[in-house]
Amino acid sequence: MHMKMNKQFTALFVGVITLASFGAGVARADDPLDAATQERINRFEKGPAMIDVSKYPQGIQDDYQVFSQKCSQCHKLSRPINSDYALPDEWSRYVKRMMHKPGSGIDSSSGKAIYEFLVYDSSLRKKAMVDDKLARLSAEDQAADQAKIKEVRDKYDNK
Amino acid sequence: MSDELDPHQKTDTEPSASRAPVPVWIIVLTLVLLFLGAVYFDAYGAWFNNQVYAPYKSAEELALYQPKSGAAAILAHGQAVYDNVCGLCHGNDGLGKPGQAPPLAGSEWVVKDVASLAHVPLTGLNGPIRVKGQDWNLAMAPMGAGLSDPDLAAVLSYIRTSWGNQGSAVSADEVKVARSAIGGNAPSAAELAKMTPVERGHAVFQKYGCFQCHGQDGKGGVSNFNAKTAELVPSLIYVADGYTKTELIAFISRGERNIPRKNPTGPEPPHFMPKWGPVISPNELSDLADFLFSLKPKGENLGF
Repeated sequence: MHMKMNKQFTALFVGVITLASFGAGVARADDPLDAATQERINRFEKGPAMIDVSKYPQGIQDDYQVFSQKCSQCHKLSRPINSDYALPDEWSRYVKRMMHKPGSGIDSSSGKAIYEFLVYDSSLRKKAMVDDKLARLSAEDQAADQAKIKEVRDKYDNK
Repeated sequence: MSDELDPHQKTDTEPSASRAPVPVWIIVLTLVLLFLGAVYFDAYGAWFNNQVYAPYKSAEELALYQPKSGAAAILAHGQAVYDNVCGLCHGNDGLGKPGQAPPLAGSEWVVKDVASLAHVPLTGLNGPIRVKGQDWNLAMAPMGAGLSDPDLAAVLSYIRTSWGNQGSAVSADEVKVARSAIGGNAPSAAELAKMTPVERGHAVFQKYGCFQCHGQDGKGGVSNFNAKTAELVPSLIYVADGYTKTELIAFISRGERNIPRKNPTGPEPPHFMPKWGPVISPNELSDLADFLFSLKPKGENLGF
């Protein structure tokens, strides 16, 4: 009887200490970044952490798996999902920037899958943002981005 | 009614409540409160910092914690910069760390002439050096090249007069002189005028010692303990893929003080990207970006 009580108390104690140190850790972890960037990231990360891809073509659903697995290694998935990047030119740059970080574990084929998912998804889910951004571009850049969107859409839609 | 006591029951022992388990909600509530308490303590508790908790025993002691002026203010500022930039490797106590950095306390190099001392943070230090009779052979990045003249002067003053060191204070002008003396190896204005932007950018890359961390021609960085980027300072050969020129210049100007950790509970990685904006001129930054873009291996195409 006495033993049992001891055991219960120990379990409770260990649990409390673990949780308490976890609580401290959570508070520690938010090191200050440059304030504007941090504010922007916070805004993105507050949004939904996943995308309903059930209506997307199978190829894009597969790419979504690569995207969610690779990109969540270093940051919350809600960051890219709700970010204000939308154009192929932007996604190409950011995906490459991340994949070239040492130890990213993103090879060129998964990098391409992530890029194509983001371009495809943005062309539907962020359509207003894409159109708005396209309208601000020079005719030449606009044509280039539109061609890249079409390339990705054709690749997956016409299957 | 069965509520009434049975008069025939023997009551030779005291009645007692049997043991009942603690309700789950109490356990959960306790845990949640303790968790919140820990978070609150961490945010507002100041971690038993002397300045918050210690009772002041005298007016002198209280004055110790007040903002200082004049030379004392410079030293306090120097200490703040030192703890932030140098202390990671040399230790906030100036005693150095085995395998990472030699001591500064009692080091003969620290109290030498200002020019040779300033040379170390401004250009980094690679290879063997003997400090207090002990041989060291390590690599230090030009951690001070990104600091302004007054900041670096404050740091140097701090290390020259702390931990028993008996050196003189260093003025911002002395740092300025030391910095321009180092630039003496750089190409002259006439030579620069004949160069292409990429060539000038290469000179900028050399001048500010970027190679000390990112490797010759940005081909691969030095090790950076516990950095999430495979414990390496990143190579720069693919920046053309990931940045526009504007973005790249903005990044170099802003630097990156917080390097994500491989092991979140491990120590802070010793190397970080200094804030170069106040140090490298806009023209130099433009040339530097052109040079970095030129590093991308020819013929590589990721197909997106």
